[in-house]
Amino acid sequence: MKTNWKLLSLLFATTALFTFSACDKDDDDDNNPDPIEETGNVIVTQNITENTTWTSDKVYQLAGRITVVEGVTLTIEPGTIIKGEMGTGANATALLVARGGILEAEGEATAPIIFTTVGDEISPEDIAAGNFGSPNLPNDANGLWGGVIVLGKAPISASNEGADISEVQIEGIPTSDANGLYGGDKSDDYSGKLKYISIRHGGANIGDGNEINGLTLGGVGSATIIENIEIVANQDDGIEWFGGSVSVKNAVVWNTGDDAIDADQSWTGTLDNFVVIAPGDHNFELDGPEGSSDNGAYTLKNGVIVANDTEMKRFSSDLINTDDNTSVTFENLLFTAIEAGQMVNRVSHDVGTVSFNDIVLDVDAENLSTHFPNGEVPEGFSAGNAPANASAINLDALGWTWTAQAGALPTL
Amino acid sequence: MKHIGIVLLLFIATLAQAQKGTIRGTVYEKNTGETLVGVSVVLEGTFTGTSTDLDGKFSLEVDPGVYNLQISFISFQPLTINDVVVKAGEVSLLNEIMLSESSVELQDVVVTARALRNTEAALQTIKRSSSAMLDGISAAKMGLIGDATAVEAAKRVTGVSIEGGKYIYVRGLGDRYSKTTLNNVEIPGLDPDRNSLQMDIFPTNLIENMLVSKNFTADMPADFTGGLMNVETRDFPEEKSFNVSFSTTYNPDMHLQDDFLTYEGGKLDFLGMDDGTRALPSGARADRIPVPYSGVGDQQVGDFVQSFNPQLGAKQQRNLVDYSVGLSLGNQVNVGDKGDGRLGYIFSLSYKVDYKHYNEVRYGNYQNVLDANHLGLRYATVQDGAMSEENVLVGLLGGLAYKNQNNKLRLMLMHLQNGENRAARFNIDNSPAAIGQSGYLAESDNLEYNQRGLSNLLLHGQHKPGGGQWDIDWRLSPTFSSSEDPDIRKSAFTIQPNGNRTFSAGAGGNPSRIWRELTELNATARIDVTRSYTFRDQKAELKFGAVHNYKQRDYEILFYDLQFTATQVWPQPDLNTVLLPENIFPNRPNGVYYQSGNNKPNPNEYQSAINNSAFYISNEFYPVDQLKAIVGLRAENFVQTHTGRDQKFANGDAAGRNLDGEKVLNSFDLFPTLNLIYQVSEQQNLRASYARTVARPSFKELSFAQILDPISNTIFNGGLYTYGDWDGQLSESYIQNFDLRWELFFERGQNVSASVFYKQFSDPIELVRIPEQQTSTEYQPRNVGEASLYGIEFEFNQGLDLLSPMLSGLSVNGNLTLVQSKAEMPEAEYNARKAYEKTGQNIARERAMAGQSPWVVNAGLVYAAAEKGWDAGLFYNVKGPTLLIVGAGLFPDIYQSPFHSLNLSLSKKLGEEQRTSLSFKASNLLNQDQESYYEAYGAANETYSYRAPGRSFSVGLSHRF
Repeated sequence: MKTNWKLLSLLFATTALFTFSACDKDDDDDNNPDPIEETGNVIVTQNITENTTWTSDKVYQLAGRITVVEGVTLTIEPGTIIKGEMGTGANATALLVARGGILEAEGEATAPIIFTTVGDEISPEDIAAGNFGSPNLPNDANGLWGGVIVLGKAPISASNEGADISEVQIEGIPTSDANGLYGGDKSDDYSGKLKYISIRHGGANIGDGNEINGLTLGGVGSATIIENIEIVANQDDGIEWFGGSVSVKNAVVWNTGDDAIDADQSWTGTLDNFVVIAPGDHNFELDGPEGSSDNGAYTLKNGVIVANDTEMKRFSSDLINTDDNTSVTFENLLFTAIEAGQMVNRVSHDVGTVSFNDIVLDVDAENLSTHFPNGEVPEGFSAGNAPANASAINLDALGWTWTAQAGALPTL
Repeated sequence: MKHIGIVLLLFIATLAQAQKGTIRGTVYEKNTGETLVGVSVVLEGTFTGTSTDLDGKFSLEVDPGVYNLQISFISFQPLTINDVVVKAGEVSLLNEIMLSESSVELQDVVVTARALRNTEAALQTIKRSSSAMLDGISAAKMGLIGDATAVEAAKRVTGVSIEGGKYIYVRGLGDRYSKTTLNNVEIPGLDPDRNSLQMDIFPTNLIENMLVSKNFTADMPADFTGGLMNVETRDFPEEKSFNVSFSTTYNPDMHLQDDFLTYEGGKLDFLGMDDGTRALPSGARADRIPVPYSGVGDQQVGDFVQSFNPQLGAKQQRNLVDYSVGLSLGNQVNVGDKGDGRLGYIFSLSYKVDYKHYNEVRYGNYQNVLDANHLGLRYATVQDGAMSEENVLVGLLGGLAYKNQNNKLRLMLMHLQNGENRAARFNIDNSPAAIGQSGYLAESDNLEYNQRGLSNLLLHGQHKPGGGQWDIDWRLSPTFSSSEDPDIRKSAFTIQPNGNRTFSAGAGGNPSRIWRELTELNATARIDVTRSYTFRDQKAELKFGAVHNYKQRDYEILFYDLQFTATQVWPQPDLNTVLLPENIFPNRPNGVYYQSGNNKPNPNEYQSAINNSAFYISNEFYPVDQLKAIVGLRAENFVQTHTGRDQKFANGDAAGRNLDGEKVLNSFDLFPTLNLIYQVSEQQNLRASYARTVARPSFKELSFAQILDPISNTIFNGGLYTYGDWDGQLSESYIQNFDLRWELFFERGQNVSASVFYKQFSDPIELVRIPEQQTSTEYQPRNVGEASLYGIEFEFNQGLDLLSPMLSGLSVNGNLTLVQSKAEMPEAEYNARKAYEKTGQNIARERAMAGQSPWVVNAGLVYAAAEKGWDAGLFYNVKGPTLLIVGAGLFPDIYQSPFHSLNLSLSKKLGEEQRTSLSFKASNLLNQDQESYYEAYGAANETYSYRAPGRSFSVGLSHRF
């Protein structure tokens, strides 16, 4: 009997030893940091939690999803270059302006603010010399970092309206980062000023059908000022609005992998004076409200759309894509480089209110009807090769862009 | 290996000695069904004899011949067993010797050995007199029927249903509220996210018994709510056995199919493990992997891409039929100077391969429509396709035990190895009209491999000093387990309107690869002490003990996406050409490279640990005549710690949460229990019981992990992170259980019982769809409002000879459970439902509890003619529609459809000694489909997941040498 107890205590001790030695092994040794290349870039690894200014003499390198948190202002000087590291999923890099955060990024025509990938060798010297294109990357290289996301407190029409406030998670940000929430009840919310900004080579993937757009505007309010924006080679959409009331003036979207212009959740602003060139999917992917509130129509006016780039083999999948509940006003648009089979997907809307005004398709008059369902040309469309109101479209305002410098901007 | 060697040596040793024969038996007290220690067993007219040991067992070696055996014990009526035949080298087994307490007349009771053939009377007596409401199946019964593995035998236990052919559930309760233990020790299952242990690897001839407890007593783990099944392995096999078995299964829908999907695996796949073919290339763990335009040389990027296995596509290849082989052996031998010591051993090896091929698999993602007058759901994504699985299971079990009169010591080792290779091919249709979706068509191939290993050691001692008044039982059991998913590959070509196949990030996505790894250590130490005494002239028992459970888990997920610098068009769309050298960066423009999806630090990596110390005391006594009371109290000090961080922190937001070994659950709780058994008559009981128990969140639930299921494309989110109105404080749920049961017992194990039960849950944990996330399908476990359920249960087991002697051997058994459950909706859920209320619909404040079936039916028709070696059974089982995932708002509720499972089994033992057994089984005779669906007011149900398992037929052969 005695020996049994001795044996027993020995066994207890052995098991305990076994147990403790087994749980000590978890500290991995993968903490040794990789040497950072001698680029001289300012590496940004932390969220912006106090007012900060980024200056044009440096290049800022985003090492993760960098968030300008609520109550904080990030100011970016004209001519500043920001480069995102490569990554995908939760590891995708992006500049995220959370609800209540402010981005004061006022570039100038001669000194735009450039958002690009670390792979882009563009330097402050290039900007100073007036060369705004990437010196080493092709103009359709995409997915090399994330994008710019601005979120605000303006109303959205999303389907989570049961709660006190209508807010949802922005596309492209994993659910577990609550900085990705947007929407509210402040229509004239202010998220800052974005002027003369070129965003390129982004659009990192989060999951299937879930990527970062070039410029994402979620619930951004009407007091925010956004003018002179260029999006080049984004893997997902060029500019996408998720509700909100902000307007955008003077924009070009060149070579996006997915849609060029995308609006959802009852956005109520205006896109004025813009150019779209050869997106991988839709030129316009325009949805209606998703929740019970319908905040009214948005307006797309004074634009030139180059539907195809035959050299790049990039064909937009249709001309205009709306849903039955979309409410949008189109004014003074010219579509060029149209291929047979490219359609306006829907011309009558039971739920939404869509009006087509002065829309010109650059096709032979006898072929015009082939671009509409049932071959019926609705009011507001005509065939031709010049916009109905050419003077309202000011392509010179886009002369500062890489698109213009590369000679890809259409001429009227 | 050493251990196996010892067992083999012993086996050979026992083969050698064969002049004498052995009489073995077990002595029970008739009234209680408990074994009796120290009973004298003597050959009539000789001085040869022995006495029963702590298990109530004896073993006597004698020369061949015919004997009468005298069994006697103080204050019990002596018993003589006549005509015990002993043959050289063989064992005569007297399984159930029943002694009654003596009344006034001290007359001998005489029975013949033949009448003591295996019956299940002992288990029935245990059931009748047990403190807990329990059901079970004993070794004796399993010896009679042809079931090869524990899972097949378990379906004969009332109230038990089998899921997936390997998991056991009690009373239709979900996995959260069912639990399985092995030899009274908690060991993790092969599937780390389940409470239940995989049962199809235990051969029945190595199982002593399987018992299902339906109510709580203080000696059980407190995280018990519905049912606890314990499997006790044998320590001292009664007879020398060397058993070999083989079985094969044919499913006409699944087997010998030319379109079975698979891919090239490794050389060790047949052993259930990967040989490194699917390993993560070493360079992939670097903080920065080589990517283009990053200052890294182009060749380095290309070499890195080529270090990955280039296979992305599935291939079709004809599959085989299922088969399994098993080998088991066991015996006991007398050792020691006086021959009073005994050594027992068991060993078993099983190997199984099975194939599943689902021709029609569907995963649907549907949404509610806001318009109050629009009835019907709208699809967001529907995936249709085929899926094939090849599953290899290797099981090794060895046990060695020693006992003398008052002490027993045993060591058991077990290793399970499981490899599941899966390939699937889907057509994906994403609707542009759905909320948050952009609309696309795609075709995908999914390749997966899941490799699991579990090694368990049990050291168990039992001591009965003081002439059986004390019983001290201790167990030590460490377990190591791992579950790895090396190289989960999902690749989808997006189909453009012009028919071109492309990789489009904004549509079908880029090909992606995932590595998941989980390791877990589990160590349990427990001691149980029982003291028998007399109270008011009746037998009483005081039981107390302590248990310590330590568990530790390490978890990590790593992601890599294939990338291109622009949309890629594939004129010859073959996924297995994508990673050919000529397509890799920099060998062509727009070539393939990888991007890492892994933050540093990684929010998808965590370490969690549990320390649970429990103490209990329980007293079983008769406060008044015929009323037995078991009063118990259990105390558990439960501490769960977590090291991990949320996405926000991983992204450099100081406001994010970062836990470093912090306590995420820390509670000291008392779990009182009271069981009253009123013995209306010897055959009739009334039982009442109350207990407070707990249901705790799992490691996975109490983490920051985000786990993508690449096939259904849904994401599980750990309960720790805060989101919307969820505060991230996932906590345990406490349950008050009330049971009332009436039971009536007849001869030969027949019985009828009826119960009512009521359970009240505070803060039950449910899987909730995250309403704020609309682009992807994401779930999170959360505590929801109060919930309660009440139910009635009716059970019976009845021989049909009652109707006609012609029907002798036929019996029916079954149980029917009806449950009404209701959970209070959290405010946000109610509002979200309200926003989508249809005209004419009236959203209530309450709904059914997730995971709870409203009704469960189990029924069996059994024919047993042990003398002739026949056994047959027809078993039916079904659960009512069960709320799987709680919807609300845009997302409809998801229910699991009833699966009417009807299975037939038939076995025949051949030969005079019934050494060979032939069996036949047919499963899913009703050819039911497995389906879960979306349900919404006024809308037709839409599929969430669908597959058809088809009917399968198997034959088995086993032989005992």
